[in-house]
Amino acid sequence: MLQETRALHPVRRRGWKGWFAVRKRHLGYVAFALNRLTGLGLVLYLIIHLVVLSMLARGPETWDAFIELAKSPAFLLLDVILLAGILFHGLNGLRVILVGLGIGVHRHKELFWGLMLLAAILFIFGAWGFLVV
Amino acid sequence: MKGNGIQGISGAVRWLLQAVSGLLLIALLGVHMIANHYIAAGGLRTYEEVVAYLSHPVVLAWEVIFLIIVTFHAVLGVRSVLYDLGPSPHTQQWIDRLVGLAGIGAVLYGLWLLWAIT
Repeated sequence: MLQETRALHPVRRRGWKGWFAVRKRHLGYVAFALNRLTGLGLVLYLIIHLVVLSMLARGPETWDAFIELAKSPAFLLLDVILLAGILFHGLNGLRVILVGLGIGVHRHKELFWGLMLLAAILFIFGAWGFLVV
Repeated sequence: MKGNGIQGISGAVRWLLQAVSGLLLIALLGVHMIANHYIAAGGLRTYEEVVAYLSHPVVLAWEVIFLIIVTFHAVLGVRSVLYDLGPSPHTQQWIDRLVGLAGIGAVLYGLWLLWAIT
């Protein structure tokens, strides 16, 4: 089953250009390219996050000063973008796992849009929590 | 199944490891985000609040597991992206070494940071 779905996978070994081979706007290609881009973005965020957390080792003055800065609208906007990336990558990844295990192979488009609807709902609540609460 | 380390693992096993770590991350990251950005007053914790938060053994264990799993998932993901560039077998070996070292470095750094704070 895994081999069968892997054969259907839109990966083409054509270098990084293959990520953007969004042929006829086929959903699988778009989802694959976005999954790659959000994944790389989240890795970049992880590196920045670990570097920023080093301020904790410098003591309360350094950290608490940073926290005040991190409450600014610009930082909160970055948090909202991060949330969008996490939700897309996580829920699209869930779709990839399900399809890879043979679940919903023939209804993968409906699965994608259903999970993206869930992502949109969670994003609205999550962004509201970041910006308003 | 040739090569050592991550190259010695078949593609199907790597896919499964990436899938399992991804599923774990949904729970680990979900709790991490809710605890640190939604439950915390004002969305972020002060130094004192961070120390108090990490003083709970379950929380500390959760954050350690999260650190290890997120780094593992990221390392496998970056490796996969770099392999898409079509590197030679020799370059693939270097990619495996570099992403592996970066992952080990990130986990050790994170553990040191947790130890320094707590």
